[in-house]
Formats: sequence, C-alpha cells, structure tokens
Amino acid sequence: MTLLQAERGRRDLAEPERATVLWPRSDTPRRELSSRTISAITILAALLAWTLVTRLGLVAPLFLPPPQDVLAKFWTVASQGFIDATLAQHLLASLGRVLAALVAATLVGIPIGLAIGASRVGRGIFDPVLEFLRPIPPLAYLPLIIIWFGIGESAKVLVIAIAMVAPIALSTASGVRNVQQDRLSAARSLGATRRQVIRFVVLPSALPSILTGLRIALGAGWTTLVAAELVAATRGLGFMIQSAAQFLVTDVVVMGILVIAAVAFVLELGLRFVERRLVPWAGRD
Amino acid sequence: MSTLTLSNIAVRYSGQPRPAVEGASLSVGQGEFVVLTGRSGCGKSTLLNAAAGLVVPEHGEVSVDGRPIEGPGADRAVVFQSDALFPWFSARDNVAFALRVRGIGERQRHALANELLRRVRLDGLGDKPVWEMSGGMRQRVGLARALAAEPDFLLMDEPLGALDALTRERMQTLLLDIWAPGNLGVLMVTHGIEEALLLGTRVVVMAPDPGRIALSFEAGFSRRYAAGEPVRSIKADPAFTTARAELADAIFEGEPA
Repeated sequence: MTLLQAERGRRDLAEPERATVLWPRSDTPRRELSSRTISAITILAALLAWTLVTRLGLVAPLFLPPPQDVLAKFWTVASQGFIDATLAQHLLASLGRVLAALVAATLVGIPIGLAIGASRVGRGIFDPVLEFLRPIPPLAYLPLIIIWFGIGESAKVLVIAIAMVAPIALSTASGVRNVQQDRLSAARSLGATRRQVIRFVVLPSALPSILTGLRIALGAGWTTLVAAELVAATRGLGFMIQSAAQFLVTDVVVMGILVIAAVAFVLELGLRFVERRLVPWAGRD
Repeated sequence: MSTLTLSNIAVRYSGQPRPAVEGASLSVGQGEFVVLTGRSGCGKSTLLNAAAGLVVPEHGEVSVDGRPIEGPGADRAVVFQSDALFPWFSARDNVAFALRVRGIGERQRHALANELLRRVRLDGLGDKPVWEMSGGMRQRVGLARALAAEPDFLLMDEPLGALDALTRERMQTLLLDIWAPGNLGVLMVTHGIEEALLLGTRVVVMAPDPGRIALSFEAGFSRRYAAGEPVRSIKADPAFTTARAELADAIFEGEPA
C-alpha cells in the first residue's frame, strides 16, 4: 500500500458525512454505511465491550465498574448527591466557572486578537506573550495563581480563563488577517474611517474564525476544569471526581467523566447552532 | 464639472523587476465614459487602482481638478470584479453602509438605499442576504453601494467579467443608463472588445511589459445610446463591426500569433 492510499484510508474514516469528496470513488454503487452510522456502531461496540469485561469478571469493579452501576450511581448522585451536593449543584458550579471564564477570556482575547491581526505594534507586544502562555499546562501555573490570588472562586475562574485566552486571541487574529483585501478597499474607498472599517468590515469578517476560537476555548476550558477544582473547591464536577477517586468510588469517577463529556458535547452543539444563526454566510462566500 | 487626471503614472510592485505601469497619462471628465482595455497583465487594473488611491504610484500624480488626491475617497467610488460586498449585511444594508459612512441618519438611509436598489433594478430585494444572490444581482448591489457615495467618478474594475453573456448584456445597458444623465465620469476596465466600444466615449488600449497606454481614441456609440438609439441597432451598424475589428487588431498588435 502506498503512502497516499494509506492516507486515503485514514481520511475516509475521519471524514464527516457532508465532507467534500476529495477522491470520489469509482466503485460499483454498493450500499455504503454513512459515517454517522459507523460512529453509532462504534459507540455501541464500546458499551458492549465494557459490559462484557465487567460481567465476565475480567476486571474488578474497583478498576472498572459495570455500566449499570455507573448509571445507578448517576441517579443516586442526581437525587441524593455526593459530598454535600447533588449532581446538578456540582454541574452548575463547574458550568458557572467555565462560562465566567469564557466571558472573561472573550473580553480579553478578542481585543488582543484584533491588535495582533491589525497592527504591527500589537503583534509585537502580544505575540510573545501568547506564545509563552499557550504551551504551559494549567497545572504548572496553578500554584502561582494560588500564591497570587489565593484559593477563592476568582482564582479558579482565572486558571480556566488563562487557558482560553490564547485560542480566542489567535483565532481572532487569523480571522482579522484573512479579511478580503477587496472588502477593505471597498470600505476605504467609500470613505469609511478606521473605526468604521474595524467595526463593520474587519470584525464581522473575522466572526466565523472568532466563533471557531470560542469552540476551541470551551474545549480547553473543560480540560482545565479539573485542575482548577483541585484547590479548595467544595463543589464542581472536577472536585466530585477527585474526591471520589480519593475514596476509590470508581463508579462516581466514571460517571463524572461521562457527564463532563456530555456537557462539553452539548455546549459544542450549542455553539454550532449559534454559528449557523450568526454567520450563515461563512463558507458560502 | 470635475476632471480626474492621471499624469505620467508609474507603479512598481515590490519584488517585480519591471514596473506594472509606466508613463501613463489619462483624464476622465464628468460625463465621460473612459474604457481601459488590453491584454492580461498590461496594467489596466493597476492604473484604475492608482486612480482610486488604493495603489500609490512610484512616479506621477493623480489629481481631481488639479488637487492631488490623498488616498481613496468617496468622490471616486469603486466597483470591484469580486463585488467586495459584505455578506453579513443584507443587500439594503450593503448600500446603507455607504450612506452611514456619509453620516446619513438611519431612517433616511433605509429610504435612500431602497431608492438606489430600485435604480439598479433590484426593487424589493433589499432584505435578501447577498450570499443568496446571483453574480449579476451582487454586481448591481455593488453598483448601488458605489452610487450611494454620490461620487463624481465611478471606477469599475471588470465589473462584468464574471457574468454570463446574457446577464452581461443587460448590465451593459444598466451601466449606460446610469451614466447617461451626464453627471458621472466613468473609468472602467474590461476585457470585452465589444463592451469597450459600446460603452466607451473614449477607449484606451494598454499594452504590457511594461504596462503602458498604446492607443486612445474617441468612440461615439454610447452617446448614440444616450440619444435614444437601441443597443441592437448600434451593434448592427457596419461602423460598429469595423471599429470592433480595428480595436481587436490594436489590442493584439505585437503579440506573437
């Protein structure tokens, strides 16, 4: 198999349903499974494997509890709670932190991105700062944040927000840089001021890119959540998982992981919906 | 009556050994329709961009009534081949943007934009998103937006280049109708030989390497349209056919067959 063929096979697996057909297949028109169906089968297979290994006693419940235990735990925690808070309270605490961080990171990240994309000076100032912050894992700067800001709620939000600023700023900058030259020329030749050009041409142009940045940032935010809730939290999904791990309550750990995944997925869908409403023209123009 | 004058313009893009345009002089008076034509790469668009103030010439000067221009300005509105519309705005808001820039209040903007859309025959389509429009409709929105600036000069860079033949013919008469009242000076770049003759009161032929003006002549066909003669009868005139052949010869002169 040549490299190209291998690449092709890999791409076919990864391709979403409505993807551009880069290599149309000339095969006979035999009925093919859509990638969505294949995804559903994959998930079912994973669930089945999970059920089997636990049922057959191949893995002790301490390491991997059976799915029905996790589900049962979900209901218990949802109704009675775990460590002084119900699942909804844990969830709301985490969601509140992630969303507060998103708002803060957006308010900071978009102007920074605008400065990087639109001005030489802005790029000179902020590029090294972002490049410095971006690769640092949240757990590494967490201690410093605690020393500086203590263990309150704002420190937790700050840890998450720091992880979110770079993706938002960089996506904004790339959106700003990719504004069609003709559109800028058109606005300028109509006599628009610099301010008007930025507000009515540059920002709307960059909006699809900014929204992509928000999506990436939300992902980064959830990733950072557990680290942020390491410190002096009394509520939150990350806190719940860690406490459960300390008492070896593995079913709560697994349940917590699944809940985080589900919430992140719902938020992703929500942002995609916002994208369709806000920038229906993206990709069609 | 204003006059847009380009004198002895030379433009060189960085990294290019030869200038894109050299020693080009040209003037466009209000009421004139000057067409720039020539082979690809002869600097037509560069010269137009210099007139717009979007490209700064290395030598020479662009002036309006003797006053040198300072960059782009609403007195010289531009229509782009790519239409350069703002897809986040409806058709009406694209036009209204030009009015907003002029400081016209919101209520007036709405009515004026509708009126301009009517002028380019897009009556009642103001709410339509531009990304749902056909190429011809989009170009007309772009035209209405340029007109909204109430320019003295309309600079058009191959505005009909991407349109199909039928749409193109309709757009040609639309452009003539807009120019005919005589208060606009038009400078337009086109590849179309017939288009150049039909629209231009003056046709300027450019030649490449370096981009320069090779020939400039008066044409009377658009004035005949303005006087009421239908396009079909103008095109059927043997004088039109002859002029067309001569223009083609002039454009391809010196080109190895």
